[in-house]
Amino acid sequence: MIRTLQDVIERAFAQLSQTTTAYLPPLLAGLIILFGAYVTAVLVRLLLTRLIKGAGIDRFLQQSGVSYMFDRSGRVRTSRLIAGSTYWVILGIGFLTAVSAFNTELTNRMVEGIVLLFPKLVTAGLILLAGAWLAQYLGRSTLVWAVNEGLPSPRKIAMAIRTVIMFVAVVVAADHLNFARSVFLAAFVILVGGAVLAASIALGLGAKGAVQRHFQDRAEHTEETPERSLWNHL
Amino acid sequence: MPNHLLSEEAQGALDRIERADIVVGIPSYNNVRTIGHVVRAAQAGLAKYFPQFSSLIVNSDGGSKDGTREAVMSVQVEDTHLMLLSTPMPPVHRLSFPYHGIPGKGSAFRMIFQMAELLRAKACVVVDSDLRSITPEWIDLLVRPVLYAGYDFVAPYYHRHKYDGTITNSIVYPLTRALYGLRVRQPIGGDFGISGRLVSRYLKRNDWETDVARYGIDIWMTTIAIAEGFRVCQSFLGAKLHDAKDPGADLSAMLHQVVGSVFSLMQEYESAWENRSGSDPVDLFGFRFDVGLDPIEVNLDRMFNAFLRGCRDLGELWTMALHPDTHEDISRLARSLERDRGTFHLSDELWARVIVDFACAYKQRPLERSHLLPSLTPLYLARVASFVLETQNLFSAQVEERIENLCLAFEGLKPYLRARWKGETAPPQARREGAALKKEKLEV
Repeated sequence: MIRTLQDVIERAFAQLSQTTTAYLPPLLAGLIILFGAYVTAVLVRLLLTRLIKGAGIDRFLQQSGVSYMFDRSGRVRTSRLIAGSTYWVILGIGFLTAVSAFNTELTNRMVEGIVLLFPKLVTAGLILLAGAWLAQYLGRSTLVWAVNEGLPSPRKIAMAIRTVIMFVAVVVAADHLNFARSVFLAAFVILVGGAVLAASIALGLGAKGAVQRHFQDRAEHTEETPERSLWNHL
Repeated sequence: MPNHLLSEEAQGALDRIERADIVVGIPSYNNVRTIGHVVRAAQAGLAKYFPQFSSLIVNSDGGSKDGTREAVMSVQVEDTHLMLLSTPMPPVHRLSFPYHGIPGKGSAFRMIFQMAELLRAKACVVVDSDLRSITPEWIDLLVRPVLYAGYDFVAPYYHRHKYDGTITNSIVYPLTRALYGLRVRQPIGGDFGISGRLVSRYLKRNDWETDVARYGIDIWMTTIAIAEGFRVCQSFLGAKLHDAKDPGADLSAMLHQVVGSVFSLMQEYESAWENRSGSDPVDLFGFRFDVGLDPIEVNLDRMFNAFLRGCRDLGELWTMALHPDTHEDISRLARSLERDRGTFHLSDELWARVIVDFACAYKQRPLERSHLLPSLTPLYLARVASFVLETQNLFSAQVEERIENLCLAFEGLKPYLRARWKGETAPPQARREGAALKKEKLEV
């Protein structure tokens, strides 16, 4: 009995020892790599934050309103943005290198998958960024136009424009990543189709009178010669 | 100089004329109702006051479909005896061609200037085609200072209804005067006399394809003349009565083309204005007299509503365009307007600050210019509404005093403008200095 117990304990220790000798060195190596990556990432972030003035890109982000989308104060700094992105990229690379130190089938497949996905992720990110820029630009144009034209709820109209454009960007990005492609496409078709149908029904039934009044008011306003002269004379 | 705006037909016509000392240009677009009168006045003016000079009247048309060009070519000047001419009227060449390029007044002027230069004109006059109050004397008053007194640019000086020319009165005149230090009262009047030398200078520039091609042309011409040191004067032309312009055009587009041109020229001519303070009067020719003017009705409620809409919905843009203090003052004003419309008052100083802030935002680009300029419209309407409220019981002389005070407010803000223009973040002191300067001026 005691002998059997001793065998079991010895086997457990042997297995533990085997596991430890098999996994501890790569784990230690992985941790060292991760730590090294972390230190490098922190240093690079510090360096980039100090080095990049990035006035041009800062200005572009601010002008286009993209920075405003991420930060309501509109004060997102390019230096911080680039340094932060670089920091996470270095950490990601460190993580992948650390994982690949295990050299197992699972980790190798994981690393390979991520490496292959990376360019697609970058492209998808760029698509989203371009979408954000376009959404903000057209949203603001619509907002100013709607305010100057005296349309009701200009902010809601602008928000609708932004949402639609961002949604399209998300659909395109998801399609590019081959991620839930059919779900996004179906959602897109249902949403756009639904919106058009809803607008048509609303216009046809409920808002007919309002639209008629609106155009009548506009026509009358155009005919008011005395006031038009104030609006047109320099 | 490339003459890509001139068709072969136009070139041929100019070759036949060979030379003209005076060119009168009339830009047009569907102005059949009024252009005949303008052509008659121009021809009579040339015949009566400048019979010894060869001259040409040229119509630069934007593709009218109402027979404007035919009207220009067919109109006859009759009753010469009524003009007390002792000799038969000398012939005046007359041409009408469509211009090419971006549709707008600026492109029309460009073709006129190219013709004037090719004909080696000593003086060129441009007059609007919708004028109802033009007389032959206008041609004399716009040409004589160029031909006989050596001036390069003759700006018009009119009597206008107190609510007419609101972009001029509330933005362009005060700002141009404060910047360049010359009191040209109608910098975007539309009717100008120009020397051949200045015409050549205009044609050498390469910014014709910008807002200059449209409504920006008038302030562009005036600013170049002032900032580049050409000799500038004004001629009193009486009343300016004209048809309602371009019913399709909307205020926002017009405002942003004119104001955009002013701001853009501010950047180009920074060296001409940065050290300038105060302003000087400009020589004024012509006998001044009072005239009756067409009344103008205004809808204050619509302007107030536009302003309130702007305050409610454009805060996102205004926070980037305006200094925080200015934005706070505007918000406070909107709150007071919601309580009581009758006592609404947008002060001269605050309005001047708004314009200066927009000018600086135009330069520093915290947001797209295509968003910045149209977002000025609600603020501009608030200013017009305030002006209308303040001046509804005033006579034109008293209104001129109010405009003079606004100009002094702009001049007083020059230190603030300099500070903001350079991107300095501590403008209140500059503003106080400006206010002190203004007070001093008023006391004088």
